[in-house]
Amino acid sequence: MNTYIQFAVIKFRNKMAYRFDYLLGILNTLLSFVVYWSIYKALYDGASAVDGVTFSMVTTNFIISLGLSSAFSKNEMFLQDKIKQGTIANELLKPVNFKLRMLFEDIGEGAFSVVFNFLPTVVIAAFFAELSAPSSAVNIFLCLISVVLGYIVLWQISFIVQSWSFWLFSVWGLVTIKNVIINILAGAYIPMWFMPDWLKNAIRFTPFDSIYFTPVQLYLGELQGWEILINFARQILWIVILYGIGELCWRKGIKRLVVQGG
Amino acid sequence: MSETIIDVNNLCKTFKIHKRSSGFKGAVKNIFYPTYEYKKAVSNVSFHIKEGEMVGFIGPNGAGKSTTVKMLSGILYPDSGDITVAGYIPHKQRKEYVANIGVVFGQKSQISWDLSPLDSYEVIRHIYKIPENKYKENLERFTQLLDMSQFINQPVRQLSLGQRMRADIAAALLHSPKIVFFDEPTIGIDVVGKDKIRKFIKTLNQTDNITMIFTTHDMQDIEKTCERLIIIDDGQKLYDGSLENVKKGYVSSRIIEAEFESLPIQLDLQNAEVTDVDNNILKKIISFNADEVSVNEIMTELMNTHNIKDISIKEPEIDAIIRDIYEGKIVMR
Repeated sequence: MNTYIQFAVIKFRNKMAYRFDYLLGILNTLLSFVVYWSIYKALYDGASAVDGVTFSMVTTNFIISLGLSSAFSKNEMFLQDKIKQGTIANELLKPVNFKLRMLFEDIGEGAFSVVFNFLPTVVIAAFFAELSAPSSAVNIFLCLISVVLGYIVLWQISFIVQSWSFWLFSVWGLVTIKNVIINILAGAYIPMWFMPDWLKNAIRFTPFDSIYFTPVQLYLGELQGWEILINFARQILWIVILYGIGELCWRKGIKRLVVQGG
Repeated sequence: MSETIIDVNNLCKTFKIHKRSSGFKGAVKNIFYPTYEYKKAVSNVSFHIKEGEMVGFIGPNGAGKSTTVKMLSGILYPDSGDITVAGYIPHKQRKEYVANIGVVFGQKSQISWDLSPLDSYEVIRHIYKIPENKYKENLERFTQLLDMSQFINQPVRQLSLGQRMRADIAAALLHSPKIVFFDEPTIGIDVVGKDKIRKFIKTLNQTDNITMIFTTHDMQDIEKTCERLIIIDDGQKLYDGSLENVKKGYVSSRIIEAEFESLPIQLDLQNAEVTDVDNNILKKIISFNADEVSVNEIMTELMNTHNIKDISIKEPEIDAIIRDIYEGKIVMR
């Protein structure tokens, strides 16, 4: 395990060289936040709450889900490029688990984004937008854990889609569609509270709400006692299920791998 | 007696190739009725290699050498047949297995483009968990043997192909693998560079008793390093045996191509065969065996009797050897 943590640390350190990139990233995240914040400000039109949902809850939802979604966006052509250029051969010659290595490197990059992109964005947004204060210190801690779990759920979905490049020449289209679907169903564009009941119930059977909405609910203190455990259990369950599917795709794919060139 | 370390039986691999028709009509047809072609890259290949052996793998482009090496190194899954290397089944126990081998691809660099070789080696040390003293010892030795001290701290993108290749070879050997596969390690490298690489490989094979498989197009590579030779063409094993056997008939055979100033050409050479060239009556091809008659003798004879405009000496190419094996001039064992 130590080796994999090393991968994450090395990636985090390498990213330090590209700090300017992240300054621009903050601007990018802030812009999309401001767009949604203004739309909902107009919709609320001074009302304190709609259906029991206050405006500050909505802005908090946006800063967490949009902020994380932008911080966690990564190069999803990774596997496709490796397969296309045949450099996957080099990866397979290393005595490490390719998937785990990829996950830990991405965690290293994700952690960097949270520190240098997400947190600054939140701080800047706090100056002008109505953000809810965290309900308690414990809740911040729980929220952080669920952000990590949510990230792993998100990563597994991305891996499954990327692994289709064993069969397809390009997965760019699929990746794009996947990202739109995730952002809609995970509540990054429309807060989960305002979705019709049938859709909300349907989403409860998918992994999507455990990506951003569980952290939002934990931050706001909407979950109590058992509900907290159940939501963590759902995140972990999805990680296990998606891991299984990803592993299946990987194993089937690697068997039909054709190493290009040479 | 050393033991068999690589055991390959009836290995087969077929690639499915999407066959495309051209033009707009063809493009539409491809969507609805894709047609595939099956290409047998490796068919029914078997061989056994003993510990410490150094085996040359030759064959023309597309013969299946690289595919075989990729299957041996656990990257590709064979369609059928068995591979056992050092007690592992490469494609099934990939992660555990690859810690025991090193692979050098002449066409694909394994060290990071942006880092210096030394930085890449540090990463490798972590991945393979190489003990500190072993790492230092190997690094020092390879730096000296491969003459890498001047460029070991430069980013890889600034290195010449020859330097990069040497850095790559050292990278594949740092963890002291038991078996090393070289897939065209001398491709595109100049004579001096090739020589350094060959010497290094040979030295390491002798001092560390590393089992090596070496694929190449260059007969010289094989001659300078290997004792055993496996020739592959069209996915099939054509020859497996000592290099001596092939060498006797071929490595010493030479071809002189001579263009004469004027007619008539009267050649009376012993132990040599003279053939005409189709479109040039002034040109002759003289083939002979350098063990029976020296190049010097032939040249002197030519110079003494005729005025010569142009002359060149050639060695037989691998293609020619393979052709002769097909025709049964070399006995397969």
